[in-house]
Order: sequence, then structure tokens, then C-alpha cells
Amino acid sequence: MLSVKEVRKNFGNLRALDGVTLTVASESITGLIGPNGSGKTTLFNVISGFYQKDGGEIVFKGRRIDGLTPDAIARRGLCRTFQIAKAPEKLTVLENMLLAADGQRGENPVAALFNRRVVSRVEKANLGRAVDLLTILQLRGLSNEYAGNLSGGQKKLLSLGRMLMRNPDMILLDEPTAGVNPTLANDLLKTIKGLQDELKKAFLIVEHNMKVVANLCTKVFVLNFGELLAEGTPEEIQQNDQVLKAYLGGA
Amino acid sequence: MSILNFLIYLLTMIGIYGLLAMSLNFQVGFTGLINFGQVAFFAIGAYTSSLLVCKVGAPLIVGFVGGMILSGLFGCLISIPTKSLKSDYWAIATLAGGEVIRLVALNERWLTEGAFGVMKIPQPFKCYFTRDAYPAFYLAFIVICVILVYIVLRWLTNSPFGRNLKAIRDEEDLCLSLGKNTRTLKIQAMVVAGMVAGLGGALFAHYITYISPENFRPIETFLMWAMIIVGGRGNHLGAIIGALVIQLFNVSTRFVSDYLPFTPGFIAAARMVIIGILIVVFLQVRPDGLVKEKKKIYRIGNKDGGVD
Repeated sequence: MLSVKEVRKNFGNLRALDGVTLTVASESITGLIGPNGSGKTTLFNVISGFYQKDGGEIVFKGRRIDGLTPDAIARRGLCRTFQIAKAPEKLTVLENMLLAADGQRGENPVAALFNRRVVSRVEKANLGRAVDLLTILQLRGLSNEYAGNLSGGQKKLLSLGRMLMRNPDMILLDEPTAGVNPTLANDLLKTIKGLQDELKKAFLIVEHNMKVVANLCTKVFVLNFGELLAEGTPEEIQQNDQVLKAYLGGA
Repeated sequence: MSILNFLIYLLTMIGIYGLLAMSLNFQVGFTGLINFGQVAFFAIGAYTSSLLVCKVGAPLIVGFVGGMILSGLFGCLISIPTKSLKSDYWAIATLAGGEVIRLVALNERWLTEGAFGVMKIPQPFKCYFTRDAYPAFYLAFIVICVILVYIVLRWLTNSPFGRNLKAIRDEEDLCLSLGKNTRTLKIQAMVVAGMVAGLGGALFAHYITYISPENFRPIETFLMWAMIIVGGRGNHLGAIIGALVIQLFNVSTRFVSDYLPFTPGFIAAARMVIIGILIVVFLQVRPDGLVKEKKKIYRIGNKDGGVD
């Protein structure tokens, strides 16, 4: 579904990504691990169009997406979350969910003024879906709270909620469980797994917790200093000497 | 000037500036676009309408609509660079844009009559009213415009379009990651704001019946800023209340020199100092302004959802 070929990204003299190649199959959960500063988030930023690559190519659903703007890539069905969850401060949790919905006629100002019946019908349908999703994420009680007042963990949940609301073909999750309490994190991971089973979504997940990765992912890529250090099933990765040295060694 | 006439004049000016403040608030308070050249819309609306009517001989309605359209186009034009210019640089660019418009009005004499200004601008429905009754009619006309604009802007800001704008204001990257074309949205917001302010400009020109570049100095922009700082950003009522407070102060202090031993020049300067202090005090003590941004509450029934 997604294939990244020989992608390079430099910041001045720093080679943040030095020819990274990886593929994510559809209907799979793929893990991306690596020490801090190994280029995981940079890779996310390049794939999602927030950074311009300095070389290589990125193909999604058979079409090149490198060079597109982030919003165009998102509209192609490839969405990402951020490591530090973003939440528009003065929008409520529900508004955040509604914001994410795809195909809203009312996003056009002319339709918003002259086609109010249709717009409000779509809005109502989205509202129902948003409330259902918030219930799953245990955020329902905070529906009318400003997103800016949520805790870090709750913002993480909300970003997953927005993704579910948007319902893209592939989701890049940047540390989805960081700052979420263990029970809820577990639920969250189950939700992701369930989604993948049911809706056949593809996920690429940055995650530091090896247990989580082993549980969730069918394939894992390991980055180190901007280069691919290893790839394989979680079991293979956990036995890989180089990986143990670079990343898992201390644990 | 009798008290009644003065009151009508005051309310008319509050209405006109209310439109300008609502327009600025739409940009700043809802979309997060820092526009320091708001006066440009005002000038374009005023000049376009009066020139279309006085020079081309177009009907008044064409003047008004033309003023709004051209001002909206200017909004589109000035927001094209927003993608490459970071917001603070864009703010400076808008400041320059406002001055460019004023200098064009001052120097392109073939078009705008330069410093002499456009005179004898006709007024709508003038022939149906006596001289004494007309200002009251015009006030009513302006009140209707303010109400209509208020409703339209509320519809917009309560729609998914308005939600996108607020999200751009708070987290632009998030909007991009959700597939929103933030560039187009910003341009659309500026066009809407431009049309509203252009209407304000046209209403002003046909009320005062004489405009010159002197009416459109940068200080006007800062008065509008004072209005949304005092009134509160992110809600339309706040902009109107801000316009009321600032205009009330600005207009009524003209008569201070009749009662106190100050020269009018001194008072004009002191007025700006006081408005400046007012801005500082509000930013320190009540940064949300007199009317806070209203939270949009959805009623979602009472099924018990877990809260941690």
C-alpha cells in the first residue's frame, strides 16, 4: 500500500534520513522503532508531506505522493497523528471530531450559506458518529470541553478519535500510547487491532514499548541514525544482535 | 448640532465601524490572520462605490456591490502570499498593502481626484426624505446592514467552514493533516472579510458624501484593532460592542475643548494616548475582551459515558 524507496532528508549537514526503504502492506500493522533521534518522526513528516524529501520516492496506492502538500496527501487517504498531540485549543472535543469528518459540503462558504439544510443534515449524521466514537474512547463525558483543557493522554485519545472519524485507508500513528494510562492504552491498542481486523486499515506505528510492538505488529522496521538497521517480524527483531545493541540493549 | 442629530451621527458611525470591526474580527478572531491593513478594504469599498456612481454614473446599488466585490478581490489578492509568508511577516505586508491603497488614492489623480478627494457623492433614496429626516433613514439602513452581516457571519462561523477557520487559527498543521486545504480556506475567509469591510466603506462614502485619502490613514486600522481588543475576539457581538465603546469615546471627546481649557490638537493627541492605554489595560486585565468567545455546546443526551 505504501512504499518508501531510498528516501533522504538532510538538515544542513545532518543526514536525518539516509536512503530509507520500507513498505507497508495493506491490512497490516507495521511497527517503526528506533532510538531517539533515529529519524522516525522525520520519516513520518516526509511521508505525510510536512517535510520535503531530498531524494527518493514515496508511492501510496500505486501513485507517487512525494511533492504533494500535506492536505493533498491526507485527501488521498493517508493520515497521520503527531507525537505531541495537537488539539485546537478553543474547539471542543466534539468539534474536533466533527472537524475530522470527510466530505463535508459545509466547508465551502457558499454551501454553508445557501445550502444550510443539507449541511445541517450531514452535520447531524457526523455528530451521531462522533458521539459513538467518543464513547468507545471514553471521552464522551468531555464532549463539550475545550480540547485545549484536556490532559496529554486525553489529547492522544482525541487524535486517534479524529483518525477514526476521518476513516482514511492508512494511518500513521506517532507514539499513540505515550502518556495514556496503561489500562486505557491497552484498550486503545485493542481498538487499533480491532479496526485493522474489521475495516482492513493499514497502520504504521511509532512505538517505544517493545511489548506493544510484539503484540500488535506483524512486521517491524528499525531505524538508527537515519538508516534502516533491520526489518522482520517482532520475534526476529528481538533476537537481532544489532538491534539489541542499538536500541533494546539496555532493557 | 442638536443632541438628536449628534446621537444619530454617533450611532451611524458605530454601525459603519461595527461592520469594519466584524470584518477584522472574522480575520483575526476566527481565522487567526493578523491584518494590519484593514483600512485598505475600507478605502477600496468607499472609493470604488463613489467613483462608480460619480464618474461612471452607475446606479447606487452597482456602486455598493462593486465596492464589495473589489474589496473582496483585494482580500483574495493579499492572502495569496500567506502560504509562503509566516504570519508576522504577512502582518507587515498587510500594513504596507493598506498604505499602498491610500497612496494610490492620493497620487492617481485621473482616477481618484488625489488629495482633493471625491465630492458630492450621492446618497441612496435621498429624494424621498426631507433634509432633517434623512440621517435617521440612513441610520436605519445601516442598522439593517449590520444585522444582515451579523446573521450571515454567524451562519458562516457556525458552519463547518467556520469550524475549519477556527481550527486553522489554533492548529494549522492539524488541519493540513486532516486534509483541509488551509490555503483556500484562508483566501475564502479574506474574501468574506473584504466584502464586509467593503460594504462598510461604501456606506461610509455615501453617508459622508465626501472622501479623501485623509479618511484612510493607518490610524483607522488601529482604531479597528482597539475595537476588537476591547470588545473581544472570536465573536461577532464583541466586535460591535468594541466599535460602540471606541466610537463613543472617539466621537464624544471632540466636544471636550468646549468645556475644558485644551486645544483641539491636544485633545486629538490625548485621545490616541488614552485608546493606547485602554488597549494595554485590556490586554493585561481582560485579554478576552468584554465579550468572550462563546463555546459551541452540543446536547448529546445523557447516556453515561465513562469519564476518568
